[in-house]
Amino acid sequence: MDTNSQQLHGLLAQFDTPADLMHAAEKIRDHGFSRWDVFSPFPIHGMDDAMGLKNSKVGWFTFVGGSTGFTVGLLMIWFMNAYDYPLIVGGKPFFSPIFSFPVAYELTILLGALGTLIGMAFLNRLPRLHNPLLKNQSFKRATDDKFFLVIEASDAKFDLEETRKLLESTHPVSIEEVQE
Amino acid sequence: MSEASITLPKEVKYTSQGQPWHKLPSLSLIAGVVLTVVGFIFQPGKQILFSYLQAFMFFLSIGLGALFLVIVHHIFDANWSVPTRRICENVAATFLPTLFPLWLPIAIFSGQIYDWMSGDTEFAVALEAKEAWMNTTWWWIRGFIYFAFWSWLSLYLRNLSLNQDKDGSSRHTHVARRWCTRLILFYAISLTLAAIDWTKSLQIGWFSTMYGVYYFAGSVWVTLATLYMFSLLMKKEGPLSTLLGTKHFKAMGTLFFAFTVFYAYIAFSQYFIIWNANLPEETFWYAVRDVGSWRGLGMLMIFGHFFVPFLVLLRIDAKLNTTLMVLVGLWAWLMHLLDLNFIIMPVLHPEGFSPSLLDISTWLMLFGLLTTLFMKSFRAHPAFPIKDPRLGESLSTH
Repeated sequence: MDTNSQQLHGLLAQFDTPADLMHAAEKIRDHGFSRWDVFSPFPIHGMDDAMGLKNSKVGWFTFVGGSTGFTVGLLMIWFMNAYDYPLIVGGKPFFSPIFSFPVAYELTILLGALGTLIGMAFLNRLPRLHNPLLKNQSFKRATDDKFFLVIEASDAKFDLEETRKLLESTHPVSIEEVQE
Repeated sequence: MSEASITLPKEVKYTSQGQPWHKLPSLSLIAGVVLTVVGFIFQPGKQILFSYLQAFMFFLSIGLGALFLVIVHHIFDANWSVPTRRICENVAATFLPTLFPLWLPIAIFSGQIYDWMSGDTEFAVALEAKEAWMNTTWWWIRGFIYFAFWSWLSLYLRNLSLNQDKDGSSRHTHVARRWCTRLILFYAISLTLAAIDWTKSLQIGWFSTMYGVYYFAGSVWVTLATLYMFSLLMKKEGPLSTLLGTKHFKAMGTLFFAFTVFYAYIAFSQYFIIWNANLPEETFWYAVRDVGSWRGLGMLMIFGHFFVPFLVLLRIDAKLNTTLMVLVGLWAWLMHLLDLNFIIMPVLHPEGFSPSLLDISTWLMLFGLLTTLFMKSFRAHPAFPIKDPRLGESLSTH
């Protein structure tokens, strides 16, 4: 392999309208690609279906975070009030789920929210300081008035010639190779 | 979305005939009446009054819950709730005016249901302090005021909506919004006072500022379950089949889930504050409900009314699983009825949970009567607001 030549990141196709992008996304979805994405200046309703995106997995992180928070909250109150330093307050038992509930509830929310944030970052592979697409000049218009679809070279189904032909069949305005 | 892209069904009324479930209301009414007579023969005395009160409060929940959904629809100017609004309008406008005469048996026999009315109560001191408000005359007048208000509001809001069907003017939407933003306050006050008058005053010595909102939370919860199930039915066979989609069921399911949590929040707060303060004049209400099998029913409320529906409804895809949602909806009916049982019946049966045939028969009777009237009214008008300004928006998939 020639060490001077840069490594290919993927193929970037540019579209003029959200509808074109949506049809292209449907086609790419039906070809079973997995490492690809679309970029648009605004959210496009129905794009999740067009891309074949499943429900996000972030919910599982939230659930695990929330359950941990609930358990930790109850255990913490039990440990403090009934085990480590038993204290009678207001004639109440050393431990009761009643008065530990507000604490457990708050920790459920706190750890649930943290789980959501961390899960989101993890699934998006964040933090990441750079994405090769940002070097591309025309890609800047993804925040303005153009619509983009990129298929990454790391996709198992990626083949420079075949994928380019497939992208051409979706009638983009242009197709560019993006280097790492 | 533009007006032009709306395709309305040719037949906007619900005309389906001969579905197996159409016989359900009349069968339920007949069975209810027969079983009530049989039940009363086997169990004469106060049981029939308390069972009837329980069934009455159950259907009042759905009537007031439906009225609430109409009110919030107008206030928030939502678009997802447009196709299902006519269902709620009809539930409110048939249930609430019908429950008015159905309340009279409770009022007539109130002396036997509410011990404070006869003065034969262990809370004579508390009653003396509350007498300016809690006296029989004023209790009767209040009942008339609540029903006059609810009946008027529900009929008025439905009329605005039906008039809009004819002329398509957005003025009706604005008028409805203006009334609803002002009257929701009176809705909240009347519901709270009614709950206090008709169930809380069974134990006149008790205090709880959470009581009205507790009844409200359970009411809207069971109404959302009912609305979801009826919408599913209408999607299957009515003119709503082309109108209702994932978006609407997701919204109803999410709201149902939210009220599961809201109910638990209110119920827990009420318990927690009383448990923490530990004052005998408040704790006795729970102490009575800690005896024998009442304790088990209380536990069922924690787990069956909250934890199970909460965990089942947590996932977004569960809210779209029709089989699961019907099961949870029917479960919500049972839980709300048992919740009312937990509130009402310990007064009559301090020894423990005592289900009676009359509990079921009075429920069947009211269910049969009210759903018959509802279906009649639902068939008579278009099944959804056909010229609502937000209808087009509501029909877009996202």
